[in-house]
Amino acid sequence: MTDIKEIVSEIDTLKPIPPVAAQILVLVDDADSSLSEVADLIIHDPIITANVLRLCNSAYFGLSRKVESVYDAITLLGLDHVVDLVLMESLSCNFRKGGDGYGLGEGELWRHAVLAAHVVKILVKLAGLPVKKHLVFTAALVKDIGKLILGRFVAFSFEKIDILVHSRGYSFDEAEKEVIGMNHEELGALMAEKWRFSEKLIYIIQHHHLADAAARDDSEAALVYLADIVCMMMGMSTGVDGLAYRFYSDVLNRTNLNANDLQTVIAKTGESWDRIEGLLNLV
Amino acid sequence: MVSGTFGNLNVNRNDQHCMPVALTTAVNLSEMKTSNNPAETLVAFSIGSGIGMTIYDPISSVGGLLNFMLPSSTTIESARIKKYPFMFADTGIPAFLSTLEVMGARTERMKVVIAGGARVLNQTGVFNVGRHNYQATRLILSGYKLDIHYEDIGGFHSRTLKLNIGSGTSTIHYPDQRETKI
Repeated sequence: MTDIKEIVSEIDTLKPIPPVAAQILVLVDDADSSLSEVADLIIHDPIITANVLRLCNSAYFGLSRKVESVYDAITLLGLDHVVDLVLMESLSCNFRKGGDGYGLGEGELWRHAVLAAHVVKILVKLAGLPVKKHLVFTAALVKDIGKLILGRFVAFSFEKIDILVHSRGYSFDEAEKEVIGMNHEELGALMAEKWRFSEKLIYIIQHHHLADAAARDDSEAALVYLADIVCMMMGMSTGVDGLAYRFYSDVLNRTNLNANDLQTVIAKTGESWDRIEGLLNLV
Repeated sequence: MVSGTFGNLNVNRNDQHCMPVALTTAVNLSEMKTSNNPAETLVAFSIGSGIGMTIYDPISSVGGLLNFMLPSSTTIESARIKKYPFMFADTGIPAFLSTLEVMGARTERMKVVIAGGARVLNQTGVFNVGRHNYQATRLILSGYKLDIHYEDIGGFHSRTLKLNIGSGTSTIHYPDQRETKI
């Protein structure tokens, strides 16, 4: 088994998430916060402001007039869209490099993250549950941060992990835990803690495969889990771990969804494929 | 989302040596592509529960690749989504076969290879979309009296499927670098 301390010490080698992203997340999920508060937060970060303006003025959005301020961007695109762009822009840096040990090429982990975030939005709409939409969007985006570090250890122990998965009925994360001593959900939660993510975001990262039965009652964790399942079924940037994670059918009932809805989400995601590709090229 | 290369329209040639330049064309989710360009390879990357299907007619040297995600368009209510025929087995396979026939392929000479239909662990019954995709494929192909020459279906890993038009060879690649040539 690998020395856990050695794994955890690697967290410091990654670039931390900009604090403004965490602050925005807190604000937008607070029903009492106003549009101007969110805009103020963005305006006071010149790099993020510049990026928001660059993204909003790109051909992807095809706006008829030039966006000259953050207020302009919010008015024209809507607060939700601007917040999602800010969060994606803030989180993309580390993700673009990771994925090696899981057999993913450069940018594939990020591709999976963006797709999962897109899928969770479709699921939220379909389920109609009162969940914090930016929280689940962000959680879907960052759920696999643990893979950024664990990949190297997975590559080193891959044969042992593979035997457990293919011969002994383990899921990939169960095998990670058995062979390495820690799985990517646990490591991701430690990273999120270090980067001062909210308690709920840490919880969802830690339980996004719902191995703990109690987490299946948590609507937000359940929707992020289902988004991951849909991405796996669509083969989206699946590496050596593939689809080797557990499916809990009762989670669909608990989120007001059924087997047909699962197919509808796949179809809706497929339909918006060009748009997702556009977004990936943009951020 | 139909596209294809007919005749030698899309062949890239090196003018100096008149050698055909190898051309790789991606077939994305819910797409199909056909070709008779011997320099072309069609490829569907990372197929999960969906199914990638290659068909090749060795006499006309016409081939194609279909990459569908779901078994039936009837389970989806949205008329808008139904405009994507290659998303579904029930609409995608017939349209795929028709396109190949228009290009000169004949059903009785077609070599069919399918790969995909994977499932998440413990995904059974109505939730096992991969299995339903496979069953729909078999049913539809049997309606055309078409046999499956080779299949690699199920399991819980993704696959990449390629068809080289020049040789008619299909290749299935796995994330752990293994590959099978058919």
